[in-house]
Amino acid sequence: MSKYMLQKIAQYGIVIFIILTLNFLLPRLMPGNPLMYLAGEDVGFMTSEEKQQVLEDAGLNDPLYVQYGSYLKDMFTGNFGYSYQQKMPIIELLSDRIPWTLLLAGLNLVIATILGVIFGAISAWKRGTRTDVNMLTFFMFLSAMPSFWIGMILVSIFAGTLGWLPVFGAETGWSNYTGWERVVDITKHLILPLVSLVLISVTNVFMTMRYSMLNVLGEDYIKMAKAKGVKNRTIKYRHAMRNALLPVATVFMLSLGFMLSGATVIETVFAYPGVGRLMFESVLARDYPLIQATFLIITLSVIVANFIADLMYPFLDPKVGKSNG
Amino acid sequence: MSNILEVKNLTTHYFTAEGPAEAAGDVSFSVRKGEMLGLIGESGCGKSTVASSILRLIEYPGNIVSGEVVLDGKDLVSAKEKELEKIRWKDISVIPQSAMNSLNPVYTIGDQIIESILLHEDVTKKVALERTKSLLELVGIDKDRWKSYPHEFSGGMKQRVAIAMALSCNPKLIISDESTTGLDVLTQAQVMALMKDLQKRLDLSIIMISHDLPLVTSVCDRIAIMYAGKIVEWASTDDIVNDSRHPYSQGLLNATPDLLNPDKEVSSIPGTVPNLVNLPSGCRFKERCQYAMNRCSEESPALLEVKKDHHVACFLEEGDYRE
Repeated sequence: MSKYMLQKIAQYGIVIFIILTLNFLLPRLMPGNPLMYLAGEDVGFMTSEEKQQVLEDAGLNDPLYVQYGSYLKDMFTGNFGYSYQQKMPIIELLSDRIPWTLLLAGLNLVIATILGVIFGAISAWKRGTRTDVNMLTFFMFLSAMPSFWIGMILVSIFAGTLGWLPVFGAETGWSNYTGWERVVDITKHLILPLVSLVLISVTNVFMTMRYSMLNVLGEDYIKMAKAKGVKNRTIKYRHAMRNALLPVATVFMLSLGFMLSGATVIETVFAYPGVGRLMFESVLARDYPLIQATFLIITLSVIVANFIADLMYPFLDPKVGKSNG
Repeated sequence: MSNILEVKNLTTHYFTAEGPAEAAGDVSFSVRKGEMLGLIGESGCGKSTVASSILRLIEYPGNIVSGEVVLDGKDLVSAKEKELEKIRWKDISVIPQSAMNSLNPVYTIGDQIIESILLHEDVTKKVALERTKSLLELVGIDKDRWKSYPHEFSGGMKQRVAIAMALSCNPKLIISDESTTGLDVLTQAQVMALMKDLQKRLDLSIIMISHDLPLVTSVCDRIAIMYAGKIVEWASTDDIVNDSRHPYSQGLLNATPDLLNPDKEVSSIPGTVPNLVNLPSGCRFKERCQYAMNRCSEESPALLEVKKDHHVACFLEEGDYRE
């Protein structure tokens, strides 16, 4: 492993440690009653013995360093506490929700990136032509529409009027579909939220790719390739695309980090059981332990995505990782 | 000596919003085998347009309006794009204006030189790599550095890489387009010396485009001087330096300081270069010329041979020529 990677690993280790520590300290620094935090609004109906019991169970009567130690141990063993709203251990809630979000947001990221890259590249190659202007107008129009609105329009057309697709959820409730039937059911539920998400996120990739491609096409090494007698096709794919994709890769990596939280609005519109909706519900219910755990998971996923980006960059761009490594 | 390349009455326009700009007007010259021809003039006079026109690499909104570029009896202006792809680099290669930016940053320099060899010759990758290594040694770069990326080289080294790349297919003609402009004077001198040395050893034919008169006179066999899209004088280096006939050439020489003759009075040419979109009628230099006559506004002087191998486009010389 190179010095560059070891450096990065050390940096990220420190960042994660700081985040975990802040996550421990913040609720203890906040004003207010810890009982409220632990038991929610039930506190009003508790006797003082019961209150003492809750504090004792949560270890809040221990000295701070003991609390910190057991907190770290909990974090590494995946014990995020108990959601009093959903009456479930948080780790179970999260592991129920994360796969759905990864399915929805992951597919969106892949599809939007591929579409954005293809259309962005075509648009740049045909700069100034009718094709370019039409594409630009279309994507700008898309990006101007609010995500919940696109979601609602799609629901009213395809789920309401036409009745082709289900209105909400990730699969049909109380059904016992297995195997292929279940895959079809899940796909049907996935289409509308996925299409809405792609429509919203594709413009960003399109604009990045188009701009980057235009820059690259004006570079001297493209002229040089032409002077070398390289065929137009090869210039586009081997010389231009390879360079133009670098900024798109950056956008991709950034989106990767916000994958868990990025679909909150769409998940809410479609009542899709993902992390975004869990976060939304937990905020509405003031379910503090759940809010805290969800935020922590989202923060960590941003860090992990950045880490992946740092590991990938030396392979994408030869200028990275050698001079400072 | 036979001509490798003949440019005949080449006219290239840039179709700008204000109207067509004539960046090259009726340009004619030729390059002999084993010769280094200097093509000089100030910025915007059409030197690079001529270079790009030869390989038909003029970019939008430019276009070759008329003329011929004859290489080995074949006209490149009317050639098909497919044929041009084969001629580019195989027959005519380029050492570009900015070697810094002319190498693709995501591929090693070896890959890029090998690419040009494999494009034009039916050899294995191994053979191409071996040739790449010897080319690098030829231009004074350690042969193992073929694995390096462009950003790992200094400006002068990149210029050497560009020279190696230009030599990769043993071209009949190399166009060096301001190839040393971005370098400091010392590096420039080294790269120039290298090019001159290679030209002699490998009997290369080179068109050296530059705005630097002393540089060009120090290495070139013949020189063509351009002004506002026209060649005004074309002669041997010796004739240009000691017997220049066109008022613009004389003005250029007077504007150049001479290290060996510090007492020489350096003078500038009054006025500015005309706008290429709204060119004055007649001679393009007349407004800055101290010898301007009525005739200069009425017609454009043609490039005529005033003595053997010495061509001038000026009515002053036309009189002498007829006598």
